[in-house]
This record gives sequence, C-alpha cells and structure tokens, in this order.
Amino acid sequence: MNTLSIDFQPFVEWDNSPFVLFSNQGKILYLNNAAEILFGYVSKQELYDIALAYAPQSFGYKTTTLTLSYDSFNFYAVTVGYENEEHISIRFYNTPRVKPSAPLESGKLMTTDINILLEANIALFKTKNSNKLQLLTDQDIPSFKIDQNNFSKLLRKVLDAFRSSDSINISLKLLIGEHVIILDKKEPIVQLSIEANGRYNDADAEIRMLANQSHISVLLKEHVIKLEIPLIQ
Amino acid sequence: MEQFFTKSEQIQNIIKGFNLTKTLFVSSIIIGEANIGKKSLARYLFPYSHLVSGRNQQEVEAALEEYDELIITDFEKLNNQESLDFDNKRIIATANFIGNYTTIDNLFAFIYTMPSLKERHEDALYIKEYFIKEAQHDLLLEEKDFNLSKVPMDLSTNSKSLKKVIYEHLMIHSMDKQSIEEAVYTYLLEHMEGNNAYKEYLELYEKPLIEAGLKKYGSQLQLSQILGINRNTLRKKIHEHAID
Repeated sequence: MNTLSIDFQPFVEWDNSPFVLFSNQGKILYLNNAAEILFGYVSKQELYDIALAYAPQSFGYKTTTLTLSYDSFNFYAVTVGYENEEHISIRFYNTPRVKPSAPLESGKLMTTDINILLEANIALFKTKNSNKLQLLTDQDIPSFKIDQNNFSKLLRKVLDAFRSSDSINISLKLLIGEHVIILDKKEPIVQLSIEANGRYNDADAEIRMLANQSHISVLLKEHVIKLEIPLIQ
Repeated sequence: MEQFFTKSEQIQNIIKGFNLTKTLFVSSIIIGEANIGKKSLARYLFPYSHLVSGRNQQEVEAALEEYDELIITDFEKLNNQESLDFDNKRIIATANFIGNYTTIDNLFAFIYTMPSLKERHEDALYIKEYFIKEAQHDLLLEEKDFNLSKVPMDLSTNSKSLKKVIYEHLMIHSMDKQSIEEAVYTYLLEHMEGNNAYKEYLELYEKPLIEAGLKKYGSQLQLSQILGINRNTLRKKIHEHAID
C-alpha cells in the first residue's frame, strides 16, 4: 500500500502525548493539542533546551528515558529527532495514570455533600491554626458517594500540610469535560485545590495512600495539593 | 436537654465541626485534660446517643455491635484500640490524652483538641458561678452568708479543683460556733493519743487565734491588749507556733 498519499499530521495533532517541532533558532514551528496545554505550565525555552540536551549525535531519532513533571503532566521518556539542520522535534511520553490497586469498597460509600465535609474539616483546622484561609467553592456540586471517614482523614491530612502556611487558598470546582472510569462507569471529576506559599510534606505518603483508597488522584507539589475526586453516583 | 456554655472560639469551632458532621458516618475524638467538659460537650451535641466508658472493654465491644451512633468516654483506657472497627459508624470519643498517635490517627477522621479551663478564662468564670449556685443550694446557704468576691479560683485540676475549693470556702465561711465545735470534736475524737495531747491540740485553737489577731490588729502590742495576755507571753506563743 502506498502510504505516501496519507496525511499523518492529524494523528500527531490528536495524539495525547505532546509533540513540538522547533526551528534551529528555538522557534516553535508546530505543536499539537497536547503540547499546547503543556505550554500553559512550562516555557518554550525549557522544552527547547531539553530537545537539544537529548538530541542524537547525528541525524536520526533517539529515545531517552527520564522523568519530567509539569503540574499534573508527568512524562517518562522523550524522543528527539532531526533530519536536517533546520528542524528538531520532540515528543513526550505520558506516564500512565497509576490504577488504584485496591478495589473500591462500595459498601462504605455514602451519598455525601462534599461541601459539608470540607467545611467541617476547615472548622477542625481552625481549632488548631489561625492562618488566613480563603475558600472558593461551588455549592451546586451534587452529592456523590464517598467513604466519609476515609475522605475526612484525607482532608485532615491535606489541610494539616498547610498548618503553618500563609494565605491559604482553597478551591473546589467541577472539572468540566473531564471524566474518569470507575467500575466501568464514566464519572465526572471534582477538583479540590489547596495552595499557599509553602507546605509541609511529612504526610505525603499517607495522603497518597488515603487518596488511593478512595480512587482519588492526587498531585503533590511544593506549594499546592490537588485532589481529583470522582463524582460517583 | 443538656446545655453547654462556652466563649472559647476553639470550642465553638469544635461545635461547628460536629454540627456539620452530625448526620455523617465519621469518627471523631475530643482530646483534652481531665474535667474540662469533654463528656458534657459530647452529651450536649448528641443527647440521645448511647454512652459507654472505655474503662469497660466488653461493654464497648457490645455497644459497637449494637449501635451505629455511640459516645465512648475515657478512650485512653481502652486496651484494644487497634482492633476496633468504626466503619460506617458515627463514633464520638473523648480522651484525656493521646496514647498511641498512629492508632488514634488511623481510627479517627476528626481529632479535636479541647482547651483546658485555665486557657478559657470566661468559661471558668461562668462555671465558677454555676458551682457557687450549686454549692449554695446544697449547703443551704443564703447569699448574705458569704462574700462572693472572696471565693477563690483553683484550676489546677480544672473543674474538679474549682468545685472543691468553692465548697470548702463556702463551708468554712458559713460555719457557726456550734459547727466549728463539732468539727474540732470530730477531729479530736479521731486523732487524740500520746501523753502530751493537751499541749499538742491546744495549737488547734491558739495558732488560728494569734494568726487572725495579728492579721486584724497588726501589732503584737495591740493584740496582747485585745487578748488580755502579757506581751511576753504572746511573743513566746508566736515563737512556739512558728508564726511569722
């Protein structure tokens, strides 16, 4: 079959992994959809430097395994290639989302208003800390099923990581258009984000474990913790 | 219905937390010194819950089988904390201290720390007033029988020491001559022995007499006149009883 007549560009365009084509001056000549989102979190220069650092010695393609992470984007490898002196391309390989190993214990799930649990945990936090706290929440998030005790523990530990932080910003919102498959059902996602000027990371392992038990994906960064909670109905 | 008075912001936040989670199946524990109102707070928040004490392990185990909502007091006294299962239950526990932090951390979603009475000045004043009223009623006292402003405050063991000091103060300050005689009589009946009792127990009368006299009249000279004894005799007795 003659494949030359097939235009491959849309495949790259819609690939879930970011792909960028640079000029030899570091100018972006092309980027796919995934790369466009990625540029919200990392500078052009940084990615160009990575492309140069991992380029093969002569014309061709080279794949290097390495760990990169930008906000919630995590990559485990890059392929850098060039066929002439003018262009260099780089493709990032998404680290697969770790599937929670423990099955969801549906017997423990109770329909809950997440705002109530969040507010109660903020009240608990306030009994111990006098830090300034800002909350931006969506009161219309529908009640969903969650292990109340486990999730409360998770919230306690997450908030506790900010016990001596200033200007803590908490936001709770529905991630429009994003879904996760749980028990063969497509469920919407609620994102809880807590951000401050810094935080403790002594309980990160426990936070990961508790989140995993409730099938919540967690992002732990220097200034922020983000929980992506499945809205199980 | 039980009442709970507090001006403490910290406790008001605890109450807020409990009110929000009242209908949820979460486990909470209130930790704080003895006699600061942990149990009263739990009772006030959950007036109809079954209540068991951690002093009785079997009772706690049986109650966990039977009830979905349960108050467990003296949680630190329970020996089998690790093996308890609070899943899908509403547990409200109180403890004087955290024994093993990891265990408490695993069992409870909400861990509240309740401030002691020493840290809650306004609450302590309120409780003092409450105890005075109670003591007044119990001891059948009239308000004119004592001076309210002179009732001392002792928060060394929180409400326990406070109650004790109030009852003692009110009793002492409302005793008439006959009660004092009876008190001395009871004391002597129990303690009198040896071969020098007269001199020894005279102290019960002489020491307070001289101490009160010195406080009231200031100088030894004046006091000796009031007492109608020689100044030297008074000086000797002051020395004898080691009064400053």
